[in-house]
Amino acid sequence: MNRLRWSAGVVIAVLAAAAPVLAQQPSAAGRVKVVSGSAFVVRQDATIPAQLGQDVFETDSLKTGADGRIGITLKDDTRVSLGPGSELRLQRFIYEPGSGSLGMVLQFVRGAAAYVSGRMAKLAPQSIRLETPAAIVGVRGTSLAIRVDH
Amino acid sequence: MASARPLLLSIVAGTLAAGCGPKHVAGTTRPGQAMVALLPDSETGLTGRAVVSNEGGSADLAAPRDATLATSRRRPGAVKTLSAADVERFFGDALSALPPAPRHFTLFFRFESDELTDESRALVPEILRAVKDRSDPEVAIVGHTDTMGTPPANVELGLKRAMMVRALLVEAGLAASTIEVTSHGEGDLLIRTPDEIPEPRNRRVEISVK
Repeated sequence: MNRLRWSAGVVIAVLAAAAPVLAQQPSAAGRVKVVSGSAFVVRQDATIPAQLGQDVFETDSLKTGADGRIGITLKDDTRVSLGPGSELRLQRFIYEPGSGSLGMVLQFVRGAAAYVSGRMAKLAPQSIRLETPAAIVGVRGTSLAIRVDH
Repeated sequence: MASARPLLLSIVAGTLAAGCGPKHVAGTTRPGQAMVALLPDSETGLTGRAVVSNEGGSADLAAPRDATLATSRRRPGAVKTLSAADVERFFGDALSALPPAPRHFTLFFRFESDELTDESRALVPEILRAVKDRSDPEVAIVGHTDTMGTPPANVELGLKRAMMVRALLVEAGLAASTIEVTSHGEGDLLIRTPDEIPEPRNRRVEISVK
């Protein structure tokens, strides 16, 4: 705990030093690595057909149609994939181990999904939250499958 | 398809509720109901842990294919173990879309030097092979330091090491456009030490190929 508090102090110092850099465009949270059938990235009000190698950002949603599948790999090596008729929102993703800033919130909205934890789960498992409409899942170095009825 | 999903969930609800689960779970699925299943890692075969919780309580998933069915504001259902066939039936499509596992390499430096050790240098061909195996390769190079010196100075030092490795890989034939370089300074130690401790194993560059 003391160590965490100390880190928080460092974070503030580093953030202050890096303020001009942080004003730039947000960096991608991850990338589309697998896509087939109808699969989309929803960003604000735009629904963009997903493409291999496409960047995904915090607050983006992934959506698949009846024949669609999509798989992404995030910056910390977390992998998430969706089967057909599914939706997931990348509500929050911060991965800056250099400054101690870590956080991930994935919202499983509907359909079937697979999740394989990455480095964030090793560094700070308490900073990860997987949300479904019915319950929240806390993880510890874990592969999971989640299915949400809608 | 939208009508098939509640049916599938009903079957699982029945499976999960059989025996000790509350009667109301079996046969009825409501919007927003969620099934969570713990799976073994496909690379290591190891199984982690997960806790499924809401206002009603929580369920611990600890063994391979442990699953619970959760409904809002009700204690998540009793933990049952799914068969491998059930996992395939309910999650096969989603699992088939998982990207390949990233591969990791750690390169170490000679003492008080920017030179890689011979063992680390010998990893370069394997790194290049991992890149060739992928349709959309991404190479992340992350520099790290030990705890000697200030955190900001170490972020800079880590970046210097990472840039050196980047130059080495580009020279070996890797496309520069696939590479991203960052530094975690002393914030991500391989060997945990107090501040101001020299530790060669923390002076390293980690490469992930995704």
